[in-house]
Amino acid sequence: MRLPSAERTVEVIGLRLRATLLALILAWPSPVTAADQTHTVVQKGRAFHPGEVTINRGESLTFTNDDEFIHQIYVEATDFGFDTDERNPGENVTESFTASGTFEVRCHIHPKMRLIVHVK
Amino acid sequence: MRKIFKLVALALPLLCGPARSQETLFDEMGGKTGIDHLVDISVDKYLADPRIKDIFSESNIDRIRSELKDQFCVVANGPCQYTGHSMAAAHKGLHLTNANFNALVEDLQDAMDECAIAFAVQNRFLARLAPMQHQVVTR
Amino acid sequence: MRLCVCVLFVGVGLWTAGAPARADEAWSWFDSGKLLATGGVSEIEGAGGGGLANWALITGYGTRDSLGANLYYTAVPLPDYSLQSAGAAIGLDDRLEVSYAWQEFDTENVGALLGLGHGFRFHQNIFGAKLKLMGDAVYDQDSWVPQISVGLQHKENDRAAVIAAVGGKQSVGTDYYLAISKLFLAQSLLVNATLRETKANQLGLLGFGGDKHNEYSSQFEGSIAYLLSRSFAIGAEFRTKPSNLSIAHEDDAWDLFAAYFFNKNLSATLAYTDLGNIVIRDHQQGAYLSLQAGL
Repeated sequence: MRLPSAERTVEVIGLRLRATLLALILAWPSPVTAADQTHTVVQKGRAFHPGEVTINRGESLTFTNDDEFIHQIYVEATDFGFDTDERNPGENVTESFTASGTFEVRCHIHPKMRLIVHVK
Repeated sequence: MRKIFKLVALALPLLCGPARSQETLFDEMGGKTGIDHLVDISVDKYLADPRIKDIFSESNIDRIRSELKDQFCVVANGPCQYTGHSMAAAHKGLHLTNANFNALVEDLQDAMDECAIAFAVQNRFLARLAPMQHQVVTR
Repeated sequence: MRLCVCVLFVGVGLWTAGAPARADEAWSWFDSGKLLATGGVSEIEGAGGGGLANWALITGYGTRDSLGANLYYTAVPLPDYSLQSAGAAIGLDDRLEVSYAWQEFDTENVGALLGLGHGFRFHQNIFGAKLKLMGDAVYDQDSWVPQISVGLQHKENDRAAVIAAVGGKQSVGTDYYLAISKLFLAQSLLVNATLRETKANQLGLLGFGGDKHNEYSSQFEGSIAYLLSRSFAIGAEFRTKPSNLSIAHEDDAWDLFAAYFFNKNLSATLAYTDLGNIVIRDHQQGAYLSLQAGL
């Protein structure tokens, strides 16, 4: 026996709604895998933007040189550190933060540049 | 008469100044020690010069001293290597004017005076630096 | 020509007035940014240069983002005459130079001999403009290309009647010139060469054109200066002049000079000059003394 058309319409709408919701859930960027997560910091005007970030252990920071100067970055801490090559304007460099704590990212060329990174 | 000619012929090299020296510009500027000293004195002057000191406010001064020592040594044909940035890349973001450039030249001239580098030698050195204006001055 | 000069001065006034409003934030008033001595001194007709020769350099110490200016006074006492000149010049953006010079030529005893009266004086007002076309005499040390400028000097003499009596054709005239200057810094040597198109008799002090020749002719002026220090230069100049008047042959002029730059505000030039024949007197050799003050 056939359902009345109004009820059928509601059912179809319900099916479509569920499908859409499922698609959204699947497509939504999920904060699931910590190791995949990358944040971006921009170098401009001989400063880091933002000047302070908080990330999880294992995540990466990508430094984009959007400045008119050549930059590099380094961290010097007891249990963690890096010291990159120089990057020209327009270039990027990505570094992973594999230790927890608070670190200062600096530039050898421009000693006043400081980025505070809180790693949870 | 002939004696006079002989005397004049012998005296001419003295009259015309020192014999064409074997010294290179590098030697005449005091070699590596002299150039390093010149750079230290001149950087102190840049940092004290109200016209240009702010240009250096965000720079790594130790690094600049070290790179200038290498660069001046190379410019003077000394046995050094310059591994710093090109003049264009290093100065592009600073938007320098001719007035900035000339102020630095004047400070460098004062430093060369203090280092007792002869004026003619100073000009030979400056002649090699002058064309850097084309890459350094962008405003 | 008077209209052209007036338009030029008005244009300069507008350029100056509009300068601070320019988008280029490098611009400033009188930055005194050029290196010492690189504006030259003031030549006898008011332009930036040596004493007798116009140079391609723009007067004053203003860089291309600024203004420079100079005032000068020059005295040339000669055996039978004396010449004085005073003037002012402005350099704009190290590219355009505008100048005014006043000249007085005192005939002293010769005036009496010529029936003009003892101490009869000729005066000239000279309005000048110079434009740098290309090159930089100081920075282009890696190239043979000199600094090249073109200019004009519009001259107005106040003794039209006397000028006509000696065979001169006009009391007003304009010189046009092309100047090239090059600093060979490694040799501490500044070299200048100028080509001038002129009809002027004795720089215009005896008018323009003459009974012998009444066309423009090409004349040459050149200078060599050796820098002994940042403040002190010595050198020599040479300038050819046309001989348009039949009353007297006009000689080439030359000088040997020493210029001292006390600072960017004051300089002095002392020279020995030979202007050759002037009317009925030969060997007009004497001192050339000039003081220049400016920014």
